[in-house]
Amino acid sequence: MSPVLHHRRQWVVGGAILILAMGIGLAGCGESVPGERSVRGLPEFCQEVLPRVDAHLAEMEQPQGERYGGTVVVGAIGDLADGLNAFSLADYTGAQHQTHMHLMTLVRVDEELEPQPYLARSWELSEDGSELTFHLRDDVTWHDGEPTTARDVAFTFIRATDPETAFPNAAFWANYTAGEDGVEVLDDYTVRFHLRPHSEILDTWRAMPIMPRHLLEDAPPSELNRHPFGTRCPVGNGPFVFFDRSPGASWTFVRNPAFPQELGGPPYVDRYVYRVVPEQTTLLTELLTGGVDVYVSPTPDQASRIEAEEEVDLLDFHFRSYVFVGWNARRPHLSDPRVRRALTLGTNRREILESLYGGYGEIANAGVPPFHWGYLDGIEEALTFDRDEADRLLDEAGWTRPDGTGIRENGDGDRLEISIKYNTGNQQRQQIAEVMQAQLREIGVAVEPRVLEWATLFDQITSPDQRDFDGVVMGWVTELKVDDHDLFHSSKVDQPFQWAGIQDSELDRLLDTLQVVMDREEAIPLWHEYQERLAELQPFTYFFYPQRLAGVNRRLQGVHMDVRGEWVSVADWWIPEEARRGRSR
Amino acid sequence: MTRYALRRLLGAVPLLLGVATLLFFVFSLAPGDPASIYAGSNLSAEVMDQMRRNMGLDRPIHERYVRWMGSMFRGDFGYSFARNEPVRDVVFQFLPNTLILSGVALGLAFAGGVLVGVVQAVRWNTLTDRALSVVVLFFYSMPSFWLALVLILVFSLYARNVWGWPIWFPPSGMVSVDHAALPPLGRVLDRAMHLTLPALSLATVLAAGIARYARGSLLEVLGQDYIRTARAKGLPEWRVVGAHGLRNALIPVITLLGLYLPVLMSGTVVIETVFGWPGMGKLMVDSVFQRDTPVVMACALLFAGLVVVGNLLADLLYSVVDPRIRYD
Repeated sequence: MSPVLHHRRQWVVGGAILILAMGIGLAGCGESVPGERSVRGLPEFCQEVLPRVDAHLAEMEQPQGERYGGTVVVGAIGDLADGLNAFSLADYTGAQHQTHMHLMTLVRVDEELEPQPYLARSWELSEDGSELTFHLRDDVTWHDGEPTTARDVAFTFIRATDPETAFPNAAFWANYTAGEDGVEVLDDYTVRFHLRPHSEILDTWRAMPIMPRHLLEDAPPSELNRHPFGTRCPVGNGPFVFFDRSPGASWTFVRNPAFPQELGGPPYVDRYVYRVVPEQTTLLTELLTGGVDVYVSPTPDQASRIEAEEEVDLLDFHFRSYVFVGWNARRPHLSDPRVRRALTLGTNRREILESLYGGYGEIANAGVPPFHWGYLDGIEEALTFDRDEADRLLDEAGWTRPDGTGIRENGDGDRLEISIKYNTGNQQRQQIAEVMQAQLREIGVAVEPRVLEWATLFDQITSPDQRDFDGVVMGWVTELKVDDHDLFHSSKVDQPFQWAGIQDSELDRLLDTLQVVMDREEAIPLWHEYQERLAELQPFTYFFYPQRLAGVNRRLQGVHMDVRGEWVSVADWWIPEEARRGRSR
Repeated sequence: MTRYALRRLLGAVPLLLGVATLLFFVFSLAPGDPASIYAGSNLSAEVMDQMRRNMGLDRPIHERYVRWMGSMFRGDFGYSFARNEPVRDVVFQFLPNTLILSGVALGLAFAGGVLVGVVQAVRWNTLTDRALSVVVLFFYSMPSFWLALVLILVFSLYARNVWGWPIWFPPSGMVSVDHAALPPLGRVLDRAMHLTLPALSLATVLAAGIARYARGSLLEVLGQDYIRTARAKGLPEWRVVGAHGLRNALIPVITLLGLYLPVLMSGTVVIETVFGWPGMGKLMVDSVFQRDTPVVMACALLFAGLVVVGNLLADLLYSVVDPRIRYD
């Protein structure tokens, strides 16, 4: 036997052993027993902070009772990629985990969207509306044991208004004096802000979680959004304590036993796991096989499958978004409100809602969603599908078709032809554009659907020197506080989001007043007027407000979801002992 | 052989540098401003400018290039825009998951593929051969995502909910939520259960291709004179096929290994998505959509490196199976 062959054999055997060892090594890494976690390999900051959290948790007494215990698993298609750092951009799901679970806001809102005490026990607004004072609870501690005080609130405000932080929701602070001049710490649990009077003053403090000063004070503002705090070792003060994260796969939280009784007390479940399952068919299977207890936002065509199953329930509730086709009023043939109204009247939106969303949604005619306290009941009937009325409006606006069939023309011989753009990869928007093409042909309008890549489309409609579109299918997400200033105010006509190019003094007056009226009772008639005006002007053909859906395993009790989000009641979720994981299977 | 391998690796350095340069300029000059994606709902000019400064995008392109190259040599790939973490940490979080999945899938695919190919070649032109050919072609032409969904439907949903099998496979994830509480053996089993469906969907389609190659190649070898000689000197058939035939027939199959290695790293994106497996393919695609250029560049560079390594590995394996090939 030649030595070469000998070597070769060794090489092969060695290689096999190496691969085996690698497999075992990889399979073995990242293990930890619940209650203990490894800080190995984490940034220095986390190595200091996490043991303090663990020590604090170990000291506390866990609540006793039959509802306490078990693990709840929530599945969704996206990761909490931006983490739990309130200073950096968080998407819908991330923001929910911050405000309802891990961190605390000064106020929260009840089902009627009325502000209620949370971290702040009470508050008062000065007579002239320029000073807002919060009195904080004195029994809230950060998960590492440090008390949460007025200095944390001031720190959060100062960093969030510091331009270097590049805080993504700068609109929160539009009416505030930025920086240290805008806030006073009166004592450990009292803090005062200086601001200009405006409507829905507390909304900012419902949305903005308070961040821990003692941990983040030393970080330069420009590096705050990449601080390891956000993704590797977040420390909050809310009902759930961050435990572990597996990137792209899951986040694990455990109960905060010290959460104040008055605010609902510690959560019932021992452990909450957020799982990322990017493919919705797989996620549905996970729900149906008990792998997840909650499926966040299933597609409408999965709804009937969920309803048919015995083990699970389907929840549907209001959401803050709407789907619309925005019209470019800068284009001569779309500048007349009668034409735009005719385009809405000539589209059978009910039919599209049924076929695309399985009926889970409500018809929209103005951009104030039904959850809002200013919603005008009956507005959904204002522009019901009516071809005769559409024909009449177009005739009146000077677009006629003498033979009663072809494409309408005006006095100058211009044909009523419009294009509707939408972005690639969104089937619902494509279908909206195509159905409109077919339906509007009936009233003599030629529609040409056009598809573009998202970034290009966005550029074409938002950059003020382009505005290269007639109509565009889009979606919009409002806050709980609705403010359409950026969309329709004439002063914003050269700003990115004033796609419509609408300039209407009546609308301006309403938008301006609505921004400063602080009393809801006083504002309601103005909101009604505003919606009527929008229905008349139809800067957009509003389509619908889709409902949000959720699939929930029946063993999970106490689940309530509404427009505030899926996670609004998560501390109250509980699982009967006999149905807990590890027992049922 | 070591010297040869070193020489090849050194030769790859300028290649990778070229790739890195090209990648940098392509991504930097691509339309779409990352800052506009991360500036949130308000596109105010001040926030955008600050965002660009914080991301280091305010510098002229040549300065950014020099800086990026410089820090890359120190092993620093910058910060991920979307994940607010160092790119190196991000990649090291996702890479092991892909290595496990594609390693197991590749092993299964080669073992299964070669086995089927051998059986077909030995039973050439019999019913077994033809039946296996049909099966192999069926899987070869099947998109892996479709196979994945069928596997989930059958071995998760139906197995548990309809047929009530005692064993069914979890449709997604790498471990169950109670993983940490399991005994050591239970943990290994838990991982294996989670690995089964994704590895099978990847391996089946690959194995079908490998089987075709192995069959064709072995058939050609079995017609050679030295096989006849081996048979003539009275060797048992399994030695003829196993020792003399297969060894020579494996050379073209090994070329496939070199080709599949990088494909498996990047091409698992569909499988990773369907099974919620947090790996490199998913990371790369997500990052492209989020314009997270630092991560995209690091991944692309890693894949380029894998192409080099994959080819080198195939070349080295030639010498193992074929004594005529020497790299001294």
